[in-house]
Amino acid sequence: MLRTALGKALKGAQLSPKHARVMSQQPKKPEQIEVFIDDIPVKVDPGTTVLQAAAMVGVEIPRFCYHERLAVAGNCRMCLVEVEKSPKPVAACAMPVMKGWRVKTDSEMTKKAREGIMEFLLINHPLDCPICDQGGECDLQDQSMAFGSDKSRFTDIEHSGKRAVEDKDIGPLIKTIMTRCIHCTRCIRFASEVAGVDDLGTTGRGNDMQVGTYVEKMFLSEMSGNIIDLCPVGALTSKPYSFTARPWEIRKIDSIDVLDAVGSNIVVSSRTGEVMRIMPRVNEEINEEWIADKSRFSYDGLKRQRLVTPMLRDNTGELRPVDWEAALLTVAKQIKNAGANVGAIAGGLADAEVLVAVKDLLNRLGSEALCTEHTFPMDGSGTDLRSSYLLNNGIAHAEEADFVLLVGTNPRFEAPLLNSRLRKGYVHNELEVALIGPKVDLRYQYKHLGDGTDVLQQLIGGGHEVSKKLKSAKKPLIIVGSEVLERPDGAAILAVIQKLSASTKAQEGWKVLNVLHKVASQVAALDIGYNPGVDKIRENNPKVLLLLGADEGAIEKADLCDNTFVVYLGHHGDHGATIADAILPGAAYTEKQATYVNTEGRAQQTLVAVTPPGRAREDWKVIRALSEIVGAKLPYDNLNEIRDRLDEVAPHLTKYGEAENANFFKQAQDLAKNVKTQLDCTPLDVKLKDLSDYFMTDSISRASPTMAKCVQAVLKQKQSKF
Amino acid sequence: MLPTLRTVANGLRRSLGLRSLQTTSTLQSDNLFVHRDTPEDNPDIPFQFTTENKKRADAILAIYPEGHKRAAMLPLLDLAQRQHGWLPISAMHHVADILGLPKMRVYEVATFYTMFMRKPTGKYHVQVCTTTPCWLRGSDEIWNTIRENLKLENGETSKDMMFTLSEVECLGACVNAPMVQINDDYYEDLTVEDTVEILCDLKEGRKPKPGPRNGRFAAEPIGEPTSLKGEPPAAGFGVRPDL
Amino acid sequence: MAQQTVRQTIKQVKPILSLDKEEARKRVVSLYKAWFRQLPYIVKQYDMPKSVEQLRDRLREEFNKHQDIKDVRIVDMLVIKGQMELMETVNMWKQKGHMMAYFKDTWEPKPKDFLSKFLSGKD
Repeated sequence: MLRTALGKALKGAQLSPKHARVMSQQPKKPEQIEVFIDDIPVKVDPGTTVLQAAAMVGVEIPRFCYHERLAVAGNCRMCLVEVEKSPKPVAACAMPVMKGWRVKTDSEMTKKAREGIMEFLLINHPLDCPICDQGGECDLQDQSMAFGSDKSRFTDIEHSGKRAVEDKDIGPLIKTIMTRCIHCTRCIRFASEVAGVDDLGTTGRGNDMQVGTYVEKMFLSEMSGNIIDLCPVGALTSKPYSFTARPWEIRKIDSIDVLDAVGSNIVVSSRTGEVMRIMPRVNEEINEEWIADKSRFSYDGLKRQRLVTPMLRDNTGELRPVDWEAALLTVAKQIKNAGANVGAIAGGLADAEVLVAVKDLLNRLGSEALCTEHTFPMDGSGTDLRSSYLLNNGIAHAEEADFVLLVGTNPRFEAPLLNSRLRKGYVHNELEVALIGPKVDLRYQYKHLGDGTDVLQQLIGGGHEVSKKLKSAKKPLIIVGSEVLERPDGAAILAVIQKLSASTKAQEGWKVLNVLHKVASQVAALDIGYNPGVDKIRENNPKVLLLLGADEGAIEKADLCDNTFVVYLGHHGDHGATIADAILPGAAYTEKQATYVNTEGRAQQTLVAVTPPGRAREDWKVIRALSEIVGAKLPYDNLNEIRDRLDEVAPHLTKYGEAENANFFKQAQDLAKNVKTQLDCTPLDVKLKDLSDYFMTDSISRASPTMAKCVQAVLKQKQSKF
Repeated sequence: MLPTLRTVANGLRRSLGLRSLQTTSTLQSDNLFVHRDTPEDNPDIPFQFTTENKKRADAILAIYPEGHKRAAMLPLLDLAQRQHGWLPISAMHHVADILGLPKMRVYEVATFYTMFMRKPTGKYHVQVCTTTPCWLRGSDEIWNTIRENLKLENGETSKDMMFTLSEVECLGACVNAPMVQINDDYYEDLTVEDTVEILCDLKEGRKPKPGPRNGRFAAEPIGEPTSLKGEPPAAGFGVRPDL
Repeated sequence: MAQQTVRQTIKQVKPILSLDKEEARKRVVSLYKAWFRQLPYIVKQYDMPKSVEQLRDRLREEFNKHQDIKDVRIVDMLVIKGQMELMETVNMWKQKGHMMAYFKDTWEPKPKDFLSKFLSGKD
C-alpha cells in the first residue's frame, strides 16, 4: 500500500496538485517541459503527473484511487498508460512527466492494461448493481463500460466464489457494504487528511485486506458524509438515502446551504416533490467540493414538524388552522391597532428578500424596531462599517495564512468547511494556530492560550508568548466567533481585536480581522440595516411582534407584555411557533428562490427545488400580502421587483457569487476608541464544544430524525472503549 | 466458520464420490481482520511494559530520529508481543499512545504482519513449513506427527496454553528441509523421531537445541564437500582469449 | 384618398355569402328564428334543467354579444358557425354537458393582482 502517511513530518511526500501549484508559484519559475499526450504537445511544469498533463489537453484517463484533493496513492492501477520506450505501462496519477515523453492513452498496451485491471477489480466485485445505491452514478460501472473488456472470463462463482467482507457499522450516516470495496483508499485518505479523524484504515493483507475501522467505532467526523461522494463504488453509501431514489429519476437543483454561515454550494436532488438528498457542488471559493454533515443530512427535517397552514390562537389558547384570508386579516387588524408599535426579530434562516420586505413594511408603519436574534456590539462603529462584521479575508484564503488566532470560536462545528481550510493550511502550509476560549478538539494541533479575556490584554500589551509570532506573521488571521461578541462586553472584545489586528504587519491586501458568524441570515440582516440583538424589542415592548423564523429563544413570552400579539413567520413548529398567537407558514430554503449572504459577505441564491408544503408561501410574499391588507402596500409584486429593491438597499445583495469586500478597518478602529465597555473577566465560551452539540442547532436540524440519531450515536460512541 | 463449512462440504462430496469442479481452493486467511471483544482480548485488559521492557522501548525509540518515531512501531509491537505472549488490543493501544499515533495506524500494521499474533497463543508456537521443498522432504509426516502428538489442528491452541500449531509457508530454510519453527528457533532436518523428541523436551520444560538434527552444523553438505573443493581459479578464468 | 383605397379593397375582397349589410341582417334574423323555434325541443331532447324562457334569454345574450360587429364578412362567418352549431344540436351530435356549458356560471377568471394570486396560491 502506497498511501502517503499524514503528519507534518512527511510533508515533503505530498504530491497533491494543489500543493504542486503552490510550489510552482514560487518566484523562480522552473522551465516548462514539453510532453506529448497522444501526439498532442503540451508544456507543463516539472513535477506535473502524466494524468494532470493529459487533463490539460482534455484527455481523460480513467482512475479510481486518484482524487485531486487527496494525496496520491497509486494503488488502483486503473490509470496505467503506455509511455513510448517504456517496457511497462506507468501509473499516470503518480508518475511525474519527463521531458519529451510520448504518452499513449489509447494504444493497444494501454487498453490491455485497463481491461486487465478492470477484470481483476470485477473478480471480487459483487454483481449487485440492481440493488446497489451507487447504480447509475458508479465510477466502476461507467469505467467498466468505457474501458473494460466486453466479455468476462470469470466463471468460478459457484465454487470458490467472490471475496466477501463483513460490513462495518460506522454510524447512522454512512452505510457500508464492504464487499463492494475496491480498496481505492480514498475514504481513508479523506479521513486522515481532510477530516483529521484517523479512524479508517486497511486491515489485513492481500486477498484478505479490508477497509474499515478494525474495532467497532463510529466515524466521528463532522464531514463524514463526503466519503460517500468520494467512494467510486457502492461500498459507502448514504444511510438515510438508501433505496429511496435512482440518480436518473431525480431532479437536481443548484442551491445554497443555510445551516451555517459558510454558504456551501449544494445540489438538492428532489423527486415527487420531496428532497431526496443533498450533495455538494464545487465552489473553490467556499466549500471546494465538501460539505458538512449537517448540511448534507438534515434534509429530512424539512419534512417534519412543518407549518403547513396558517394558524391562529383561539380563546382556549389552542392554535387552530385557518385559511390565509382569516390569518392575514387578524394579523393586519392587530398591526393596524398597534400603529407604529410593531417590532420584528429575524431568525437565523431568514433570507434577504423577506428581511427587506419586513423592513420596508415596518418603516412604512413608522417603526424602526427591526432586530436580529443574534447580537453584535453596537458601540464604536457598530454595524455601520461592514468590515467589522465580515470574515473579511475570505474562506478560501484561510489556508494561505501563516498564523491564525481563534478567539472564542470553535470553527470545527461553527463552520466545518472553514476548519477544513485551516486544517489544510496546518498540514500543507506550516500554519500555526492559537486559540483563546474553551479547549476544544479542532482535529489539528493548536496552542491553547487560555479562555480568559486577560489573554487579549496581554496580546495587546505585547507581553504574551505568541505576540511576537502574531506581529511577525506575514499572513496572520484573527478569527472571532460571533458568539463572544454577543457578550455584554462584546464591544470591548471587538475593540481590542481591532486594535490587535491593526498592530500586525500583514502584507498588502491581507485582512487580519475576521468575524465568523454562526447563522446564514446575519450578514444580510446587518447589511440591510437590522439592529443586532433583541434589546430594542425588550425596551419598546411592541404590541405586535413579528418573528421571522426566530427559534433560538432570544425572546420569551415572559419578556413581552401580556397583550403583545406575536406573529410567527417561518417553516418549522419550533420554539418561535409555540409562543406565537398567529402562525404564517413560510418556505424553507429548498422551497424558495432567495438570497443569502455568507459570513464573508458573498451573496448567493437558493433555487426552488420543491414547492412549499400545504398552504405555506414564500416568506416575502406573505409580508407583501400582509402589507396590502394593512394598507401600507409594498411596491413589489414579483421576485424581480423585490430584487430591484434589494439592489437599491445594498447593491451587493444581488451580485450573486461575488464577495463584496469591506475595507474601512482604520475608521472602524478609530471609532472603536469611543467604546466605553470594559472587558469582563468571565471566561470566553462557545456553545458548540463537542460533536454531539453540532448536529442540532436550528429548527431544521432539530426536526431531523437523522440528526437525532447522530447525537445518540455520538453519545453512544463516547461510552465505547475504542 | 465459512472455511470450516466449506471443508465439511468438500469432505462430504468426496465421501459421496462426487467430483468437485473446483480447481483451486479459496485463499482466505484463518485470521480475522476485525477486532472482536473476548474475555482474553478487550481494551479493558490493562497492558503496560514491564520496567525492563520500558527501558528496551526507550532504547528502540532512541534509534529513530525525531519526526520518524512511528518507524519504531514494528519493534515496539514485537516487544509487546514478547512480553505478553501474543498481541492483545490493549498492547496495540499502548504502542499507539507511546508513539502518539492514531490507533488505526497501529491496527493496520498489526494486522498486516502475520507474525503478530492477535489471538491467544501458546507458550510454544509451533510453525510447520509445508512449502514444496519441505513437502518433498516429508513435511507431511512431520505435520501429522505434531498434530497427533499435540492433538491439535491447524491454528489451534492447547487448553493449557502451552502449544499453538500453525502450518506456514516457506520460512527460508529449504536447504535443511523439513523444518519447524518454535518461537524464535528453527529445528531443521527433522525426522519423525526428532520431532517427537523436541515436543517431549518442550513439554517437560527442557529447551531442545535448535538447528539441524542430522549432525550438520548449518547448511553444509552431509559428510565431505562435493564441490568447490580445489583452489579457486585465478583471474581471467573462462574468459574469451581475445578479451 | 384613404377612403378610396378602403373602398377599392372592399370591392376586391370576395364576399362570403352576403353582398351587403341588409342581406347579412336577413341571414342573422333567420338564424335567430331557427334557433328560437328549436329551443323547446332542445329543452326536451337534452333534458335540460332550464326553462324555455331561460334558454331564450341566453340565446338573445349570445346574439347580442356580437351586436357591434359591422363587417359583413365576419357576420356571415358567425352565421355559418351558428348554423353549424344548430345542426349539431338538432342532430343530437352534442351531449347534455355541451348544452349546459352555455350556462356555465362558475367560471373563475385567473387571479390578476398580487393578493388574489397569493390567496389562491397561484402564480
